[in-house]
Amino acid sequence: MDDDLPTDFQVIVVGTGMVESIVAAACSRIGKNVLHLDSSDHYGGLWASYNFDGLQKFIKEVNSDPKRQLQVYNLAEKWYIEKESAQDEKKEEGGEEKPEEAKAEPAKKIWSQANFSAEYRKFNIDMTPKLLFSRGPLVELLISSNIARYAEFRCVTRVLTWLNDRLMPVPCSRADVFATEAVGIVEKRQLMKMLTSIVGYNEEEMNNEFKDWNDKTFKEYLAHKGLTPNLIHYVLYAIAGGTNNMPCLEGVKECKKFLMSLGRYGNTPFLWPMYGSGELPQCFCRLCAVFGGVYCLNRPIDKVQTKTVDEGKTVVTIDSKSKTLNCDHLVIGINECPKDLISPEPAESSDISKAVFITNGSIMKSDKEPLTLLRFPPQSDDDHAVTVLEVGPATGSCPKGLFVVYFITNKVKDAESDLMGIAEKIFDMSGGDQTAESEKPKCLWSLFYNVKDTSAAVASVADCVHVCSGPDAGLDFDRAVEQAEQIFKKICPGEEFLPRAPDPEEIVFEDDVTHGPEFQREHDDEAEGDAPKE
Amino acid sequence: MHGRVKVRTTEEERARKEKERQEKLKIYKHAMQQIFHKRKEGELDKNLLELTGKVLSSNPDIYTLWNIRREILIILKKADESEEEMSQLYDAELQLTEYCLKINPKSYCAWHQREWVLTTRANPNWEKELSLCNMYLKFDERNFHTWDYRRFVVSQCKPPLKDEFDFTTDKLMDNFSNYSAWHYRSKMLVELYPDVEGGRPIEDSHHKHELKMVQSAAFTDPDDTSAWFYQRWLLGAVKTNIEVAVYTVSPLKTTVAFSKPVNQTYVASKIRLFINNDLVNGEWQSCSGNQYDVLWIFKHNTDVTDSLDVKMEYDNENGDVQKIPGVKQNGNTYVGKGEIDFQRKYSKPVIEELINQLDSCRQLLAMEPDNKWTLLTTTVFLHCIDAKQYHKEIIENLHTLKTIDSWRAGYYDDLITKWSLEDQLAIDYKSDSIDFKIKFDDKITSLPHLQYYSHCENVDLSNQNLSSNVLASLELLQNCKKLSLANNQLTTLQRFPNLNLEELNLTGNNDLDQEELEVFKKNCNYSVIF
Repeated sequence: MDDDLPTDFQVIVVGTGMVESIVAAACSRIGKNVLHLDSSDHYGGLWASYNFDGLQKFIKEVNSDPKRQLQVYNLAEKWYIEKESAQDEKKEEGGEEKPEEAKAEPAKKIWSQANFSAEYRKFNIDMTPKLLFSRGPLVELLISSNIARYAEFRCVTRVLTWLNDRLMPVPCSRADVFATEAVGIVEKRQLMKMLTSIVGYNEEEMNNEFKDWNDKTFKEYLAHKGLTPNLIHYVLYAIAGGTNNMPCLEGVKECKKFLMSLGRYGNTPFLWPMYGSGELPQCFCRLCAVFGGVYCLNRPIDKVQTKTVDEGKTVVTIDSKSKTLNCDHLVIGINECPKDLISPEPAESSDISKAVFITNGSIMKSDKEPLTLLRFPPQSDDDHAVTVLEVGPATGSCPKGLFVVYFITNKVKDAESDLMGIAEKIFDMSGGDQTAESEKPKCLWSLFYNVKDTSAAVASVADCVHVCSGPDAGLDFDRAVEQAEQIFKKICPGEEFLPRAPDPEEIVFEDDVTHGPEFQREHDDEAEGDAPKE
Repeated sequence: MHGRVKVRTTEEERARKEKERQEKLKIYKHAMQQIFHKRKEGELDKNLLELTGKVLSSNPDIYTLWNIRREILIILKKADESEEEMSQLYDAELQLTEYCLKINPKSYCAWHQREWVLTTRANPNWEKELSLCNMYLKFDERNFHTWDYRRFVVSQCKPPLKDEFDFTTDKLMDNFSNYSAWHYRSKMLVELYPDVEGGRPIEDSHHKHELKMVQSAAFTDPDDTSAWFYQRWLLGAVKTNIEVAVYTVSPLKTTVAFSKPVNQTYVASKIRLFINNDLVNGEWQSCSGNQYDVLWIFKHNTDVTDSLDVKMEYDNENGDVQKIPGVKQNGNTYVGKGEIDFQRKYSKPVIEELINQLDSCRQLLAMEPDNKWTLLTTTVFLHCIDAKQYHKEIIENLHTLKTIDSWRAGYYDDLITKWSLEDQLAIDYKSDSIDFKIKFDDKITSLPHLQYYSHCENVDLSNQNLSSNVLASLELLQNCKKLSLANNQLTTLQRFPNLNLEELNLTGNNDLDQEELEVFKKNCNYSVIF
């Protein structure tokens, strides 16, 4: 099989993270000959989604491989439920003694570890959970490139905040402000006025209005505008996603970004990818493959060299499984990249603390299944805000009856100490009787971990080697999209970045176009196939 | 090269589309020809149903074809098609309209056809129609065709009104910028929650709740007018009675003015005129000749002379008999005045809510004094709570509004005129004077409530901002002898009514056409000064 793999490509992409995948798709789309490799057996690298089994495998691998702990460390997995379900045993013992009782009251399911294993395929747990702003660059790119047809999304249904020691919905859209009873009538006017004025500013007006606010915080600005403490909380922490120190202009820009994305798809400005964020790199890989990109997973690389050949042209050679591959440009994910290619060493940066929880109910009850963004304000002045995302069965993230909740923040000490305090505020972490009525949902399983922050742009030693950043702690994919476009522009100067891919009905199938039918077959193939072989 | 996909160029695409269009046009023309031919030959059969159906599925707005289909269905029914057969035909018709409404959800004729089928066929399934409405309103919550159709369906199947009311709540929570939903809500509100005890249109707690809801909408987005409309409607939802404003019995004429337009039956059955305790018989004629009017003229043969005892009885809306004595004026004229009160009468809880909301408005106004909506709402609240007490502030606010919202200055002028006149009327009605003169500084721009001055003999409307548009309403001055319109903005006298004046002053209306004036003067039997 290895022998079938051609050895010469225009572009070789190593790693299937978000940035790498976008670059691969963009190059392939304009006709570059692309080979896309990944050392592991799945797409996405640190951007991947795992089913429950895959996640267990990932934890095991990381814990047993010190090299991988350079990227992911402090993994702490914990169960809050029994190995086997007592309920199941009872059923076996009791036979059909109490079927009526069971029917009369569909009691809350009692989950056991065995249940999780049995339904492992229904989980899609993200390593890098992120949202898309409805009018953000990724949504626009997915639409303009026609890659959106490979993806499905759900609207985030609500934005919550932590105010006065409890969870509160944030009135962010016009309909929310109208409906909420949490703010007074005068506050409604103030809030709407502030939000509409921010949306209305163009670049010039913004600079004008805020010229005296350069060294002041957004919080000071909001207070200056006469907003009540409640409104300041909503705007600063929940809408701008900021902290007390957030500079004024940054706060305004973040607010504007949030507000501009309102009213396009749902009641909040956000979309969540069905089956997890890990789907998105795969969508770009599929486009790359449709346009002839060659895929090889499970294909680690051993050695990378740059060589100057005739006419001063530089080529990159890669040794992989006793084969030498040549290309004009190498695009490589930072985590796969040999150290000697990076120059200089990336500056020390704050790492990321993350946690995943599986619970037996939503953090805040709702009529329909909610999809929640909770921005947890910093608990003290030099603390960081925590982003909380709660997704339910409708997103394909977990079986019915469960919710998956992600926590993301900048690391201070370690993931568990950074995040446990907040987990205890919104979950019942005590284990125990799952059927007991309680305000907070029970936490059934948790995983804390730290990720090295590899999101800073990194220069390489050679012009023909392009290093892609890893995931950042931000809410959206915007930096990844921006970086991918920059890399593409370097490889293919003057070329269009991901022009619209045609729909099948726009394609001419004539006898003399030999590749047509093959394209058709590839397109119809819904499975996340490995590699389209030529 | 490998992986390259060949895509049609725009040029090819355009040519292909044009070819398709031509093809479609050919088919369409042929079908229409066939349809009209068949109809001319009287072949109203199932085949024609099929032909029209095909054309309609891509052109749902050709109402002629829907008409033809109704013709066919009526004929088929008469021609003894079996129940079952007809039922299938009606089902097919419904399917066709549904299909067409998917293409154009605002197709008048498709919605109408659906309505026709459901009222024509036996055992229509109304529940299905209601869920269809739900579906279409989910796609477009502001489609008034669907709301209209929903009202029709609801009138037929009569679901619980509370459900309908709650439905409007849901829709408004999604998007309160929805005239149809607010309107439908107002209809449900008076049906569901009338104030049975107090005789008011809406029960207190609900009136309060709606006021709160609409205020929330108005403050969330003041530039959305739908909420303001509903607020005005809510504020106007008070009990108002028909009252006798003033009556005049003179040797020439007997007139009665009412607070609201009434018809002849109402006047004849509720009003009795007594002269020296004898019931006067006669005939009622409206002043304008319209069926409903605020001023009625009583034609009778009783002589009106000196020293009479004139009295009017009015069976008012509270079921009481109101006795209004006539007071003698100069020249054997007797005038009787009813009690006037323009203050809107809300219940105590609603007044409390209004005071509350006024307070919020004042807070906001302190923050943004130039906000038009806040100032206007404040002003309207003041007027609703106590027009008399706040009169000065109200007028000041309206003057401010004229400058900050100059596009609607005329509207504010009219409000100033109306509310100032209401204020003046309260004072004027306390005296027995038969003179009417504007006693406030603002110049009036219109003539509201003029029937209240129908008894006046000397009417001085000089130095105002009246235009020729108001002339027709002067008809209400049936007992006027001296009328001054000096120094106004009159441009023509075309609509000047036929009045028994002695003197008309038109000086200072510089845009009046001299020639027209000459002709006018010639035709008058009274003196015209200009």
